[in-house]
Amino acid sequence: MRVKLAKRWTKRLLQLPETGMGYQRVDLRLAGGREIKNVLAFNAEEVELPDECADIQIEDVQLRTA
Amino acid sequence: MLKLNLTLQCLLLNQHESGMGYQIVEATTFDNKIKRGIAYNAELLLFEEEPRRMFRTATFAQLLNEAKISTEEIRSLQVVTNTASASPAFVLREAASSYVRKAMPAKDAPIEKTKEKEVFKRFTAYEKDNRITSDGKLLPGTYATTEEDAKKAPTGKAAVARYALPNPKPASNVWTIKPWKDTLIQYGIVEPANDQPGGGVEVIFTKGTNPGTVTGPEKIPDE
Repeated sequence: MRVKLAKRWTKRLLQLPETGMGYQRVDLRLAGGREIKNVLAFNAEEVELPDECADIQIEDVQLRTA
Repeated sequence: MLKLNLTLQCLLLNQHESGMGYQIVEATTFDNKIKRGIAYNAELLLFEEEPRRMFRTATFAQLLNEAKISTEEIRSLQVVTNTASASPAFVLREAASSYVRKAMPAKDAPIEKTKEKEVFKRFTAYEKDNRITSDGKLLPGTYATTEEDAKKAPTGKAAVARYALPNPKPASNVWTIKPWKDTLIQYGIVEPANDQPGGGVEVIFTKGTNPGTVTGPEKIPDE
């Protein structure tokens, strides 16, 4: 499901290049240490997450480079 | 116009043609410039900015005889895969107009500079595009397409397909970008991805654009 990113992550993503027109591919680290790789971030403000992760706080967002 | 030396001829003969009897190429010069052109019969290279009217008045053999040998100018040649059309006439016209793009993603393409009055378009599903600042500039690393290529995406869904966008929502908001001359840019072709065919031209504004260069969005039909 689509999850709105906190403003600080939007701010970070906007400092990084896009992966394609209107989107970026990112790796997320969630509270509790779980990592989700290769997540789509749209317009630097929404990410597509598995339903079971949607309510977990995002601890870090990194742009995928490969 | 250059007559290719034997090394470059062999190089081209080991690569595919772009059409019958010719190859669209990018030549790397010894001063590390990349120039596009058309190699005829793997032996005569005409750069895209050069006139072609001599073909009407001279034979191929005469042109070869008059051409300077490439040895001191061209270090290597690479055939460019053209996905736009199989029609030679179209390809030639496109080459002359600088519309031939590398068949590689923009991120892997060399950094170039925009020409005067070049116009670009950006399609997104969002009315408020976060990569466009309030003073009308693009942030560094933002993607777009050429104005010419954008004409091939008349709807938001067509844009999703042509630019292989992972967001299935129609990209029906279209911004117009008129960068200053010499803005840094990379040109490429969208690869198939996200269950979409791609094939459109994509550009990256490597360092973004200057204030006041982006207007819109214009709304196009979703489908």
